[in-house]
Amino acid sequence: MSLVTIGIADLKVSNNPEDTLVTYSLGSCIGLAIYDPVARIGGMLHYMLPDSSINQEKAEKNPAMFANKGIPLLFKQCYRLGADKKRLIIKVAGGSQIMDAAGTFNIGKRNYAILRKMFWKNNVMVDGEDVGGNCNRTMYMQIEDGKINLKISKKGMVEL
Amino acid sequence: MSLMEEIIAAVDEMPPFPQVVQRAMQELAEPEYEVSGLVDILKVDQAVTANILKLCNSAYFGLPRKVSSLKEAVVYLGADQMRRLLLSGAANKIYEKPNEGYAVFANELWRHALATAVMSQVLCRYLRLKIDENVVFTSALLHDVGKVVLSAFVIEEYQAIESKVDNGKSSFQEAEKEILGFDHAEIGGKIAEKWEFPPEIIAAIAFHHDPSHSPKEFRLLVELVALANNLVVMVGYGTGVDGLACRGHALLLKKLKIEAKDLEKLLLLFQIEMEKTCDIAGVGDD
Repeated sequence: MSLVTIGIADLKVSNNPEDTLVTYSLGSCIGLAIYDPVARIGGMLHYMLPDSSINQEKAEKNPAMFANKGIPLLFKQCYRLGADKKRLIIKVAGGSQIMDAAGTFNIGKRNYAILRKMFWKNNVMVDGEDVGGNCNRTMYMQIEDGKINLKISKKGMVEL
Repeated sequence: MSLMEEIIAAVDEMPPFPQVVQRAMQELAEPEYEVSGLVDILKVDQAVTANILKLCNSAYFGLPRKVSSLKEAVVYLGADQMRRLLLSGAANKIYEKPNEGYAVFANELWRHALATAVMSQVLCRYLRLKIDENVVFTSALLHDVGKVVLSAFVIEEYQAIESKVDNGKSSFQEAEKEILGFDHAEIGGKIAEKWEFPPEIIAAIAFHHDPSHSPKEFRLLVELVALANNLVVMVGYGTGVDGLACRGHALLLKKLKIEAKDLEKLLLLFQIEMEKTCDIAGVGDD
């Protein structure tokens, strides 16, 4: 097994059954994992911000930083490897918040809201998610079978 | 010995801050420091010397030829780079100690500290604050030093702390205080006192979870460190067992006139700087 790390503002796809994709410490960021169980192709994105309009130049250079650029790119890269949209299993983790009754540190919420909006528009269903709260999550995906494990602060390892 | 006495004893056992670094910082604080004087201080420490040369010759600077003398490197890097390099090296060593009480993955405390230091610099520049960036950097880098000592005690009392946090009423730091009698910020302040750090840095470390109770004359510095910590925890940089169970200081955003859009821009600028810093420091950014 080889561990393929997806950094913050990063995405990777794989069709190597030996690979496990991992992204560490999702706080307000979102980890999005998509998987085609027939073609055994999977991809993972770790985005940090909802919308790239704040900096077009950065969006060109690193689309994986933003939901609006990174999500379409993740799907495209999986299609390029041979994944089929109809078969994709979609799982989402992250979007946490620090303790803040005023809700001002709400990037996590906004990161999640834009994903739901984009999926709604494009008829994409989410098959599993673990979002919000004030824990951090590390997300693993086995390319062999698409199994997603989450290592959650406080709770330990759980399957999503 | 009571639990609180045990914790204080552990603070006393904390090794001193590296003397070479402390002396070099004093030298660098002089407006017209002597390169040869600085070289004399640094050359007694082989690890520090090797680190400086390594950084100077790293791809980041892309120098046309190899720098092989300490003197050349000191001249080339300049005071600000030197200061950061020396402090980061010292802090890295301190945070390297086993800290299973907090960390889920290795190196987490160090990555969190470095990220907070980077975020504090981004905040200073974005807000155009008139404040000594070097003091901000040092305070942010060392703000969680108390965790190094408290870690062992957190392991012992983890269940009790966690049940307080789990009911959603307490932050992790508040639960530490309730269960252990001290929280990591207070303990960090005591360590900084022991190291004879300047009072503003002691205050920034000790009050980074409670800026509104910090001494008025150091308030802006403390608030900056508190806010940088909030933002870095929010993103998830180097958060461990405490996760995001950290109280957000929403009032600081208001006070510093940071709106929702600014928050996004700050995170973007931070990420760009952090990637650069990780390149230089040789830390993975994942």
